[in-house]
Amino acid sequence: MLLRSLNRALGYVGVLLAAIALNFALPRLAPGDAVDYLLPPEVAGEITAAERERVLSQYGLGEPAPVQFWRYLTNLATGDLGVSVRYARPVTEVLGDRVGWTALLVGGALVLSTVFGTLLGFYSAWRRGSTADAGTLTAVMVVDAMPPFFLGLLFILLFSVQLEWLPIFGALPASGAGGIGLVLEAGERLILPLVTLTLGYLGSVYLVARASLVGELQEDYVLMAEAKGLDARGVRRHAQRNALIPIATITLVGLGTLVGGAAVVETVFSYPGLGRLIYESVLARDYPLLQGAFLLLAVGVVLANLVADLLYPLLDPRVRRPGARVG
Amino acid sequence: MSDRGTQSAGTRTGRRLGRVGAVLLLVAALAAVFAPLLAAHDPSAPSGAPYQPPSLSFPLGTDDIGHDLFAQLVYGARISLTIGVASAVLATAIGLAVAVVAGYFRGRVEGPLMRLVDLTLAFPFFVLVIVLAAFFGRSLLITVGVISAVLWAKPARVLYSDVVKVREFQHVTAARAMGASPLRVLGRHVIPRLAPLAVSQFVRTANVAVFLESALAFLGLGDPTNVSWGSMLFFANARSAFLTDVWLWWIVPPGLALTAVLVGFAFLGYAIEERADPRLSGRRARPGPRRRDAGSTAAEPATPQATGTVLEVRELTVRYRSEAHATEAVAGVSMAVAPGRIVGLVGESGSGKSTLALALLGLLRPPAEVLGGRIMLGGRDLRTLRGPEGARIRGREIALVPQGAMSALNPAYTVQRQVTEAAALTRPDAAAAAVRARELLEQVGIARDRHGAFPHELSGGMRQRVLIAMAVANEPRVIVADEPATGLDVVTQARIMKLLLDLRERLGVSVVLISHDLPLVARTADELLVMQAGRIVETGPPEAVAREPQHPHTRALLTASAGIRAASPAPRPVRGR
Repeated sequence: MLLRSLNRALGYVGVLLAAIALNFALPRLAPGDAVDYLLPPEVAGEITAAERERVLSQYGLGEPAPVQFWRYLTNLATGDLGVSVRYARPVTEVLGDRVGWTALLVGGALVLSTVFGTLLGFYSAWRRGSTADAGTLTAVMVVDAMPPFFLGLLFILLFSVQLEWLPIFGALPASGAGGIGLVLEAGERLILPLVTLTLGYLGSVYLVARASLVGELQEDYVLMAEAKGLDARGVRRHAQRNALIPIATITLVGLGTLVGGAAVVETVFSYPGLGRLIYESVLARDYPLLQGAFLLLAVGVVLANLVADLLYPLLDPRVRRPGARVG
Repeated sequence: MSDRGTQSAGTRTGRRLGRVGAVLLLVAALAAVFAPLLAAHDPSAPSGAPYQPPSLSFPLGTDDIGHDLFAQLVYGARISLTIGVASAVLATAIGLAVAVVAGYFRGRVEGPLMRLVDLTLAFPFFVLVIVLAAFFGRSLLITVGVISAVLWAKPARVLYSDVVKVREFQHVTAARAMGASPLRVLGRHVIPRLAPLAVSQFVRTANVAVFLESALAFLGLGDPTNVSWGSMLFFANARSAFLTDVWLWWIVPPGLALTAVLVGFAFLGYAIEERADPRLSGRRARPGPRRRDAGSTAAEPATPQATGTVLEVRELTVRYRSEAHATEAVAGVSMAVAPGRIVGLVGESGSGKSTLALALLGLLRPPAEVLGGRIMLGGRDLRTLRGPEGARIRGREIALVPQGAMSALNPAYTVQRQVTEAAALTRPDAAAAAVRARELLEQVGIARDRHGAFPHELSGGMRQRVLIAMAVANEPRVIVADEPATGLDVVTQARIMKLLLDLRERLGVSVVLISHDLPLVARTADELLVMQAGRIVETGPPEAVAREPQHPHTRALLTASAGIRAASPAPRPVRGR
């Protein structure tokens, strides 16, 4: 148990280090001069060779790689991620403005897709082989296959343009409403992105939930639960309790997929989160900001994995209390 | 439950989805191949007035600078499919290579390679693709490279676990021992075994790759010289196409085309995975209301249960029906159990005894169905009870003791909780049920400090005793014990048999004792039935049957056990399922 935790923790440290190393290496490995990644494109294209040299030495880019990497690490340790080219502000500040919106969106989508994906998956599994199961399976897989940006565009067309029920852009209203009004309007603007992202991830949860319960239903203990006289509800509880274990594992791990989905969904809805920020940084060639966002998301995903690891033993007593299995 | 039917690979739904998926992909592939024939204009140069509605010349109209949207749509299929397939080929090939090197050659590379796989899997892959694409540029080749660089880890992980398994197969270890060169062993034995899994991983990877390409293009990171479905949507979104009516032919067609290809890969992938995973294709119907049995017994006369019996089975026939053929697992079996008697039912695995046990409890599920006969318990025909009524009989009047060395206890609950659950059926008061559960567990010899244990913390013999405690929780009239001692060592076997005898003494319960082990049953039972191929072939008092077996099958069962006994007095191999 302790060894397993230690091993896992080392793995996460490894992922973080890899993310940091990748961030450090990318501008240096990618085609072109590092200056291209530090200055706004219109400036980088104009300057002379001498000026380039000056910029390089100013950022310490002329020094050997290990020295540069050490400085990069120490800067990181003090929370210095560089300066955004586009906003001319420290990257950490820009990220701080955006991270809350993404946490709201991704967190909400994670909860909703897990709850509804599990319910639908269990619904299908209990009826497997029936028309209801085949229909649910097909429908969920089709919705799951729709790219979230297409789904988002369709929602805008339907609910904002045609029906004019919901606003299209942003997270906060332009009107200066305060208090409850502000929360309501912010909620209104959250609905479409949230539903889009939820639908984009629901399918994976559904498939795991369905397969997991179908598997459990073939276990002997389910037959035994029936044999000892439990009613349908009691039998259901037995199987579902165990079917939850793999769902919990994939849910938080799937966060990596969700934050990626957020990048396109926020772009469609002009939602001011980290995903939209990534899109803007790509367009503006604002590489320090892009790297900062990537690092922040990687840290978030690693933390989520850590939480999943800590929660797992609560669900599975075989992990919580590994006992000698005597034949 | 050895006699439960086996299924053909995949379900009907799975096969149907697979066909639909293949057709969708075929249509997209044809559009990609014949794009120059289908489209009248160059997809990447303006060829007409902007914002034209659909016409004969422009089937989907034009965009804001006059591109032929239909031409963009059919040429877009080329980009999506090329990138999807190329990335998937590359990623699966890398994954396969890593899996084989790590799993087959092991050595010093295995650890670091699999660490790298885990590392790659732990990254938010979607964001990683965006960042890589942003730095490395926007050509087709780079897109393929970036996507495969991120997607190879999943196939590597999945294939690796299979390589490790295949490596230990007998013919593979034999080939290695005979000095066959590693390449020969890999080529002849390992790779062919991996092929189905590699194919399913390829389809899954292609699915994700097509999506990633479209997402990159939608974020403006696609190849600027080639139009793809994602870049059509990028321009539509960037130029707010949904504010006018052009959205109908600018946004919807590429979105639907993309969806169709993604659905195609998803359906195909599901069908392939279902074939590979027998658990997914298993179809045991849910408990509760069920279809009525075929061959209703309405025509048979309602004769009362024979006096002096607690359980009477008359001419019971059970059939397993698969798509190919039907087999009668139980063929006209009749038996009677008197109060407080132990009736032994002996037969080899596959003789239909477990099917009979499940039939007695009304737990048969499709593809098994009762064709005819009666099961009389306390004057009622169990076959006429359905749904909740059946559940009310189970555990209260007839209970099952399954083979407990297997997984008959729920791994997630403590044993006390599981026994309490049984006791609560006839005790509405929760506290009373808990007290009763503790009594029961102590009666079967589980010490108080072990009551809070989870099943995996108990020995096989203890788990078996927990199952017996659950069976007697509501003082049933009949216990059906299906291989209650199989898989346990001889000492524990003897204890379990003694426990059953004690319970019979104390509760006056009747027992149907089912086993493949004739000598074991003969020592415990009052009466012996020998079953072969769904029929009772011999009956009689145990001593007589064991001393002078009449049927050749009985003699075979006796010699088989004697042979095993002589050869190894130690724990017996697990059989009966």
